[in-house]
Amino acid sequence: MSASADRISGTLFLLFGLVLYFHIIPTYVEVAEGGNLSPDTMPNIIAIVLAVGGAFLVLKPTDHRTENLRVFAVTAAYVFVLASGIYGMSWFGFEYVAPPLAFVIMWMIGERRPAWLVAGVVLMPAFIWFLVIHALGRALP
Amino acid sequence: MVDLSIILAGFGDAFSLTNLLFVLGGVVLGQFVGAVPGIGPIMAMAIAIPFTFALDPLVAISFLVGVNKGGLVGGAVPAVLMNTPGTPDAAATAMDGYPLAKQGKPLKATKMALFASVTGDTFSDIVLITVSAPLAVLALRMGPIEIAALMIFAFSVLAGLIGNSLTKGILAAALGLLVASIGTDPEHYTPRLIFGYWDLFDGLPLPSVAIGMLAISEIIRRMSQSHGRVQSAIVLTETDDPDDRRVSWAEYWSCRYTMLRGAVIGTIFGALPGIGSTAAAFMSYAFTKARSKDPSSFGKGNLHGIAAAESANSAVVGSNLIPLLTLGIPGSVSAALIISAFMIHGMQPGPLLFETQGRLVYGLFGAMIMANFINLWVGQLGLRLWVKVVSAPESIIFSSAILLCFVGVSMATNGLFGVAIMLIFAVLGYLMSSFGYPLVIFIIAFFLGPRFEKSISQSLALTNGDLTQVYKSPVAVALLVLSVVSFFWFLSRGKEAQE
Repeated sequence: MSASADRISGTLFLLFGLVLYFHIIPTYVEVAEGGNLSPDTMPNIIAIVLAVGGAFLVLKPTDHRTENLRVFAVTAAYVFVLASGIYGMSWFGFEYVAPPLAFVIMWMIGERRPAWLVAGVVLMPAFIWFLVIHALGRALP
Repeated sequence: MVDLSIILAGFGDAFSLTNLLFVLGGVVLGQFVGAVPGIGPIMAMAIAIPFTFALDPLVAISFLVGVNKGGLVGGAVPAVLMNTPGTPDAAATAMDGYPLAKQGKPLKATKMALFASVTGDTFSDIVLITVSAPLAVLALRMGPIEIAALMIFAFSVLAGLIGNSLTKGILAAALGLLVASIGTDPEHYTPRLIFGYWDLFDGLPLPSVAIGMLAISEIIRRMSQSHGRVQSAIVLTETDDPDDRRVSWAEYWSCRYTMLRGAVIGTIFGALPGIGSTAAAFMSYAFTKARSKDPSSFGKGNLHGIAAAESANSAVVGSNLIPLLTLGIPGSVSAALIISAFMIHGMQPGPLLFETQGRLVYGLFGAMIMANFINLWVGQLGLRLWVKVVSAPESIIFSSAILLCFVGVSMATNGLFGVAIMLIFAVLGYLMSSFGYPLVIFIIAFFLGPRFEKSISQSLALTNGDLTQVYKSPVAVALLVLSVVSFFWFLSRGKEAQE
């Protein structure tokens, strides 16, 4: 992506600021009577700053370049794996999810050496389990 | 002023065996992670914070300071050996360190980096210890109006200094303040922007936001960039001459003015919020090269180049705590993480800290000085080991770091809800840095947000809602004028840069 990267992020900030000001803040901020500073004053000011800043960036973009779409797609895949790991931990717990999660991450990075895979998939989760349960006396997720 | 008995008690706490062991652990961990390209002390501190919950506040903060200081030393190892700085601060070190390593003198280069780093850091810590208490006394005279004006000034300077666009800096600060406003408002205590999730009633959990933005987002970036290929180990060559494996006293002494200059530059840059150690290192390097009788030798393995960069980037660590301890304003990400450690242990950094927690502050000072000596000792013993660490594959480092982040945040927030929030902020952090928005400003705004809103609320209460009363405070007026001036100065500088 070229200089249009700033225009994209600027447009998103502009839209976000407007949605925040006209919809989110009126809906999700409770109104309070009296006092010096209403609960919605600061969020409203921030929403205006976001919208104005976004518009300014659309009009005056810098020459900042960002990663290509392929890298974003790979990132999305990693985020999906991590989100699945969190969801899996909520059902089965850290002990059962951590080894396969570590394996998938290491495999995606490109690790194929058995010794390193064993270290990452077996030894490291076991070390964390020992550290948290026995050394710190806390519960795992 | 703080009573002498409190100062002595604080130093006594710092030198207790438990505290020294944790400082040692922090330094070892810091040097280790600093030596691994892609992790660095900031990420290590972010990951370590939840694990310090169970510790005594002084021990926890001393440990984190150890990680930070050790990380700066460790960061020089990959910079020298691979021309791949473990931390951005070490980028200037690579300019002369890597050529020296290629000449078969990798240990001489890393040892010079270690000695210069410890020298600069110790100088900066002495300045911190002598200057911060008197500054805190001055800061105590500031009321809510002055504090609100000071924060506006800090935001305007940070937005202009960090990153390459003032607009992006302002947007990052605004986003940080917005995220900080989630939860209850500071005046009426009514729920705000919680979207029905009562877990958010007390605001977004600090560890989730900090670790998501600083650690997980960076890990995701590195994994995406190295996707499908595992970094190979490095091959080092060394000469047979023992002199090439050490730094003699004569060589160290010949760099004394270079290190002093670097330490002064680093200390000044560290005390000013937002400039950071990378800029200090390059500034010191440039000054040293400009004043050298043989500038052509720089970039070819000159020890003065390494000494200049390392003394400056390490000197930032100590003086970075001056605005944090005296005003409660973190000037960098590492300071912001230390502030979060203070807050997790129920303390609010600022001028009152010297009165309410004087013993802890002086304990921290003692721990910082000890960390420098331990850094030197561990560095001497561990440099050969860290050289091996550099060749550890990223696959195991990143997968382990992710699991540690999951467990750490889960412990800190009592469940997986905080871990899910961490992932959301990791994605936000990734997108922000991909599009060139400075994360540092976001994090600092997030930390300062509640205090900023409270100061404005208190200012309005003091002035009965009449903002013209601000003119009665010359300090506030001066700070607001400086904010406007710096805003337009950064705006014009940005235009010049574009032209």
